[in-house]
Amino acid sequence: MNKQFLLLYTALFLAAATIVAGCTKEAANSAASTPDTGKGGSLARFTIARDHLYAVSNGYLHAYSLENGAAPKKVGYVPITWDVETIYPYGKYLFLGSRAGLFIYSIDTASAPRMVGMASHARSCDPVVANDSVAFVTLKGGTACGPATSGLYVHDIKNITKPQLVKTVPLPDPVGLGLQDNILYICCGTAGLKVFNVSKPNEPVLLDTIKDGLYVDVIPYNGVLICFVQDGIILYDISKPESPVMVKKIAS
Amino acid sequence: MRLLLLLLATMGLCSCWNWDPNGYYGPEPPRHKVWGNKPVYDTKTSAKTIQYLPGKQPLKQAGNIYAFRRYIFQVDVGKGIHVIDNTDPAAADRVGFIVLQGCAQLSIRGNYLYTNSLDDLVTLDLTDPLQPREVARVAGAFPEMNYNYPLVQPADTGYYTCPRYDSVVVGWVKDSIYATCYRR
Repeated sequence: MNKQFLLLYTALFLAAATIVAGCTKEAANSAASTPDTGKGGSLARFTIARDHLYAVSNGYLHAYSLENGAAPKKVGYVPITWDVETIYPYGKYLFLGSRAGLFIYSIDTASAPRMVGMASHARSCDPVVANDSVAFVTLKGGTACGPATSGLYVHDIKNITKPQLVKTVPLPDPVGLGLQDNILYICCGTAGLKVFNVSKPNEPVLLDTIKDGLYVDVIPYNGVLICFVQDGIILYDISKPESPVMVKKIAS
Repeated sequence: MRLLLLLLATMGLCSCWNWDPNGYYGPEPPRHKVWGNKPVYDTKTSAKTIQYLPGKQPLKQAGNIYAFRRYIFQVDVGKGIHVIDNTDPAAADRVGFIVLQGCAQLSIRGNYLYTNSLDDLVTLDLTDPLQPREVARVAGAFPEMNYNYPLVQPADTGYYTCPRYDSVVVGWVKDSIYATCYRR
């Protein structure tokens, strides 16, 4: 748990996340519609939800109003556990991945996030993606983050205040992950990009392992899987989500 | 438990700034000059200037990605953000670079890109993604970026000169130095 790792994670937990087709489709560019947010990866330390920018910094979750998008204005902050590493929005909730577990905050009152649930697990680093009923979390054991078993942890979140761990799938060095329909993509560094069918979330089925690079994070976006790899970006056509086809590598 | 973790982390943060007599974090500081990394400084004011360089720029250290309309943005850790034209994925490529020292992450909403310029939260107008311009800045929004920004340590292991806090490290060069830090 030294500076090196903190730096590495700062480097990793960069962009912001907004997943789930509903809130990321490109909105018509009219003043009346909600501005579109595009889509970030799962390794984020700030994110946009409900017209607010939420930033994790120094043990606090800060809320900035984007009512005037050209001038974010701080409207509130709440203390959170010091080691939160990723933040992921879904609907009126924020999922905060920390080394101590998964925290769920309600942003019903956008300026005052409030903790409503927590899934505790052995310490680990854990990016999160979620849908209506399930949160997928990757935990990386054997690092500065803790001794947990590396792998995919599936939490049932039908009752948002009481997430239930329903399945764990051991994986080597899992990092970022992305969900497209029933297909879950998990970056496992040198071990490749794992493609899972999660139509039954408590029984993920490994369909394929792709090894074109060292995968860190993924964004499924408009039929293209955008992969952040160690030396740049790889794009895959995912018009068939279960079988990505490489279309371009943009390396250094 | 949490206190213990906090303590451990604090020790972790401090660890690379000090020589550990047990050699756990590296060898004893040599009394003679050694080959190592030396920080390249800029003043905080100057390092917070945002520029846009049109055209494809080399990628030094790939960072996180963000998809927005027909563009992809990729952080170059500590250096800025590459703009990638993804109109035709098969021909996608970098087409420009936003110089942002200390850059770690970004998010986009409407025509605005939010990111960090060292410890400041900055807003860039993306109306023309190929001509981003700064429209707002919240100073000191990310206080930890004063001591934990991406370039605060050299990328490679070995001896280096501990950086000063009154300036900003914008890069590292190899030189013959009196080492004060060691990176495992």
